[in-house]
Amino acid sequence: MAIDPSARATETDLIREAQQGSRTAFDALVRQYDQAVLRLALHLTGSEQDAEDIHQEAFLKAYRYLGNFRFECSFYTWIYRIVTNLCLDLLRRRKSRREDQAVMLDSSGEEVDLLTNVSDPRASANPDRELNRKFLGERIREALDKLTPRERMVFELKHYQGLKLRTIGEMLNTTEETAKNTLFRATRKLRANLAELR
Amino acid sequence: MGNTMKCELAQEIIALAVYGELPDEQGPQLERHLAECEPCRRELEAVQALSKAVSLLPVEEPSANLIARSRLRLEEALDAVPHGSWLLRSWQRLARGVWRLRSAPVAVSGVLVIGLTAGGYSGYRAGEHAHDVARTPLSPVSSQSDDPLTDVASVSSIVQEPNSENVEVVYNRLQPETIRGSLDDPQIRQLLLVGARNRLNSGVRDNSLGLLANECRAGHQCDDGPIRDALMVALRYDKSVDVRLKALEGLQPYVADDVRVRDVVLEALMNDADPRVRTQAIGLLEPVQADSSVREVLHTVAIRDDNPEIRTASRQVLDQIPQVQ
Repeated sequence: MAIDPSARATETDLIREAQQGSRTAFDALVRQYDQAVLRLALHLTGSEQDAEDIHQEAFLKAYRYLGNFRFECSFYTWIYRIVTNLCLDLLRRRKSRREDQAVMLDSSGEEVDLLTNVSDPRASANPDRELNRKFLGERIREALDKLTPRERMVFELKHYQGLKLRTIGEMLNTTEETAKNTLFRATRKLRANLAELR
Repeated sequence: MGNTMKCELAQEIIALAVYGELPDEQGPQLERHLAECEPCRRELEAVQALSKAVSLLPVEEPSANLIARSRLRLEEALDAVPHGSWLLRSWQRLARGVWRLRSAPVAVSGVLVIGLTAGGYSGYRAGEHAHDVARTPLSPVSSQSDDPLTDVASVSSIVQEPNSENVEVVYNRLQPETIRGSLDDPQIRQLLLVGARNRLNSGVRDNSLGLLANECRAGHQCDDGPIRDALMVALRYDKSVDVRLKALEGLQPYVADDVRVRDVVLEALMNDADPRVRTQAIGLLEPVQADSSVREVLHTVAIRDDNPEIRTASRQVLDQIPQVQ
């Protein structure tokens, strides 16, 4: 993400002002990042409500702990660290909740996952493209949900948000190498889960 | 790595290639391998297909509604948070620590009593050492308590035994009392803290601070508040240059980890009247040169300090710092 020097200088000034107590400066900082944060949270969680909650918590935390920011990384990385941590928490909570869900058995005694879209894959022959796309979207979301929270996070940041592995490592407080390996695991799992989509 | 890439490696880096993360030098090698390897070509296609498939769940822009709602909710929550400059609050915290140290001896002797009750008498030889000051031999057990550190009014002398960790501290109670013990001993330290506040006898004050600073510098159990606070206060407020220099020495191990210490040292660099203090402060700040507050102060000092050597020294440290990307 290329930032020209004059823009960076302005952001530094804003941060300093905000650290000294300027609410206006903090609001301006929020404006620079809040759409991106919402976009990420929305795509990751699939829920407007969850996205709103993450947005709220993330910027409140930023406000409270702004004093701890000493410019040792970019502000962008710092904010995203907060956001990704909140997202990971949410993904973990969801995962454990889902595992507790009762499983239904259908007439033939087969387990039916209540959260699976039970549409017939042959619906891809359906001329209604909109429905088709929605169906595919759901299938992909399901496949993504089968990843571990960290795999999901790394994949989201890499594939959907286009961040570099190095940045992802910084945000998740790990190394580029670990992020890379997590990405590999995620793509392998996704390929297995999405095999029948072809 | 040889000229030919093996499938094992190729398979690993194909995903990197698809995501634009392939190191440049591996590009041509991968291409050559793919030209000759069918399974790996299929792998590349598979990863590309995945990439396409997964994009069928597009990233949507948050709706205007969602943005507005979120912003409004955040505004309300922020309005509810008590504000005030965090910097001001940090100084207030430090100032409160200062006040604690300056407060009445009653409070201090209270601390000493607690210390001694926990520690007991072992290791002390009290009242036997010859001393110029008129003294009375220590009466065995006073009617009030067995505690030799109650009602300490002041410390009147501190003498360190040469080449040892032992000090002899003469402190005033009802009569002058003497205690000998090691610098590691918490009771001795507490007495040194009292000594550090001695306004009348600068020799005692300097000595106390010097010994405390050495302890900190040597890393001997200086992790808690009072001793570090005492050094920070001394650095900020003491009239004696030697004391301030000693305090800096004592604080040196904590600059990296303790932001409060760093801030006090920065203040000294900006405001201390004596160039020796400012110079030493620069030395202390070198290891934390990545800190932007440090850089900013160095910039200011490099331009505005009266002393040309200090200006140069600041600039030199700055030049070592890699540019922030």
